[in-house]
Amino acid sequence: MKIIRLAALFLLSPVAFAQSPQTWVLTQSTLSYHMVHPVHTVDGTSHGARGKGVCGAGVCDFLVAAPVKSFDSGDTNRDEHMLQVTRGAEFPIVTVRFRLPESAINSPTLDCDLEVQFAGNTAHYTHVVFQQTIQGKTHHITGTVPSTLTDFKIPPPSFLTVPIKNEIPVKVDTTWQPQ
Amino acid sequence: MSHLYLGSRPASWLRLFAIALLAVASVASAQSYSSSDTTEISTAALPDAPSAIQAQQQQQQQQQQQPSQQQQQPATQKPTEPSLSDLGLSPTQTAANPALQARLDRHTHMLKIHQTLGLVTLIPMAAAVISSGSATAHHNATGGDTTGRDVHAALGGLTVAMYGATAYFAIAAPKIPEGHVKGGIQVHKYLVWVHAPGMVLTPILGVMAYNQLNNGEKVHGIASAHAAVAWTTVAAYGASIIAVSWPIKL
Repeated sequence: MKIIRLAALFLLSPVAFAQSPQTWVLTQSTLSYHMVHPVHTVDGTSHGARGKGVCGAGVCDFLVAAPVKSFDSGDTNRDEHMLQVTRGAEFPIVTVRFRLPESAINSPTLDCDLEVQFAGNTAHYTHVVFQQTIQGKTHHITGTVPSTLTDFKIPPPSFLTVPIKNEIPVKVDTTWQPQ
Repeated sequence: MSHLYLGSRPASWLRLFAIALLAVASVASAQSYSSSDTTEISTAALPDAPSAIQAQQQQQQQQQQQPSQQQQQPATQKPTEPSLSDLGLSPTQTAANPALQARLDRHTHMLKIHQTLGLVTLIPMAAAVISSGSATAHHNATGGDTTGRDVHAALGGLTVAMYGATAYFAIAAPKIPEGHVKGGIQVHKYLVWVHAPGMVLTPILGVMAYNQLNNGEKVHGIASAHAAVAWTTVAAYGASIIAVSWPIKL
């Protein structure tokens, strides 16, 4: 009977492993967009992002999502205008998807191909490099997404008839932990 | 039954297990060979016209299936990708709100007009300030010409009218549930309590002063505060524009 149990365990163990892929959870995040106008320089920050990664078959699929209205520039009027111009009520969530080889999870630099959905449009950014530091089980990842207004067909807001710059880089500072 | 008892010996069980695995593998390989054999036979046999067409159709179907299978392969991996619901975002958080978007669009549109009118109002306001120098009692006393005073009054009236229009577009803009107001807009809204009463008082005091001067009197009483109230209003109005023009973070 012991042999039967051992054989059953041996045969069923891969199934058990297959059913419980490793998952990662975003525990802390700071996303900041940087907007430049001749008389303004504004940073809008969100701490409201949520994220998850699921590993299986040698690759890990990650999803990070943040409510558009969670970005705070320190000025209510500006944030409302941002929400309007990015159609944040119609498309309330900005999502970022990327895939990494499972073997690269612990690398000091992560070369990611990002798929960003924002303002009803999807943009792809290839070879975006993020820096990673690992402390115990905590993975701290930082980097910048080189996004622009035209990537998402967002009409540039203007003040005194002067539009803001097209480049809106988004700084990413995230902390991940295995679940 | 004797084999079962023999099976209590691990070596025998392992042998049986290995044989079973080999048997499964051989059956699988035999099936693959048999399928390839049948395709070889069907293609090797001399086909007549209809069967050739059928073979071409089969080939085309196979070719069509190959890319679709390649497309399906990542699709089969999709379920492992996390979704928004996995992140704990409820459908209400992710759902589109076209009504709110329309409200935001109208809000922004009206505030843009408010902004433009507010800046344009600076022109008659500045002109009224400049013309105030020629509206004093001194000018009336020298030659009885009240043109300077009339021009100043007209510019002041135009300023008040444009200010009213500017204020209308801010007041009539749809309200957005925004919670705690912060930033330069907060100062902008506080300053309304200074320049709005000032914009009401200034023309009233101006009319009083105007009448007193035209009657040959010296400006007296509350009318003598016209210039001070006007300057305070102009200062508050200018500060209100600056507050929303620079990133003043409070």
